[in-house]
Amino acid sequence: MPDAQHPKVEIAPPETWVDRYGDYLYGYAMSRLRNPDLAADCVQDTFMAGIKAFERFDGSRDIKFWLRGIMRNKIVDQIRKSIKEKKVDIDTEDEAILESFWYKYTGIATTNPDPWQFNPRKAYDNTEFWVVFETCIDQVKEPARQAFVLRVLEDQTTEEVCKVMDISANYLWVLLHRARAQLKIALEASWTGKDVK
Amino acid sequence: MFTCKQISKVLSNEDYQKLSPFRRFWLKLHVKFCVFCGKYNRQVIESQDMCRCYKDSEEQLATTRPRMDELQKDQLKALLSSHSSKVEESK
Repeated sequence: MPDAQHPKVEIAPPETWVDRYGDYLYGYAMSRLRNPDLAADCVQDTFMAGIKAFERFDGSRDIKFWLRGIMRNKIVDQIRKSIKEKKVDIDTEDEAILESFWYKYTGIATTNPDPWQFNPRKAYDNTEFWVVFETCIDQVKEPARQAFVLRVLEDQTTEEVCKVMDISANYLWVLLHRARAQLKIALEASWTGKDVK
Repeated sequence: MFTCKQISKVLSNEDYQKLSPFRRFWLKLHVKFCVFCGKYNRQVIESQDMCRCYKDSEEQLATTRPRMDELQKDQLKALLSSHSSKVEESK
């Protein structure tokens, strides 16, 4: 058991985890995996791993965040699994971008991206904007969304993402470029005009 | 870190806020004034800022996210209690 003599936070017994953290972890998994069955599997795997590792929990932080830390690894495992089982279609590398003049000589896809239709910085304090942002991430097509989740939201390194998705660093760059472009289009469609009050 | 390609590579490999102050200064200076990559990489920086703010605000979104099905919860509770009692017995 954790160091019961010097716990810094309340240590909830495993029997109460589902009621306390089930919804929180399920919501987190849904935001990354977009699939109710995979999210539920992920919560189950997290709790099982949590029980096994409970002895090593030192009580230095909230158990919710400790379980979320375990869950982040499970999410990466789920994505790796769905790619291995070819549930996600990873198409061939986008030669058009990689062979383009601008990519070869400047490392960028285009010099003239369209400017934002609204000022996103003005919306950062608005919780409603982040709810819309989350729905817009869901609209990004696979496998760009998975690359974005792993690299940007789960803070995996480029090498780790390439290994999980079995792709080259150049192709990861293309996927992230696509994800950013699709996210911008979706955000502009959903949010433009809402920040003018 | 001076060429457009190097700037793009750094931005694709890490969040610019995680760079050392010196490297961050040169990156921002390049992006601010470069007529070749500036417009594009400014949007990459914007995207990184947005995602960082999203992650900081994530805790507030927990109540708006989908909740677990009650039936699934009951099944999971039963599984957890049997599993945790097995773990206790094995000690």
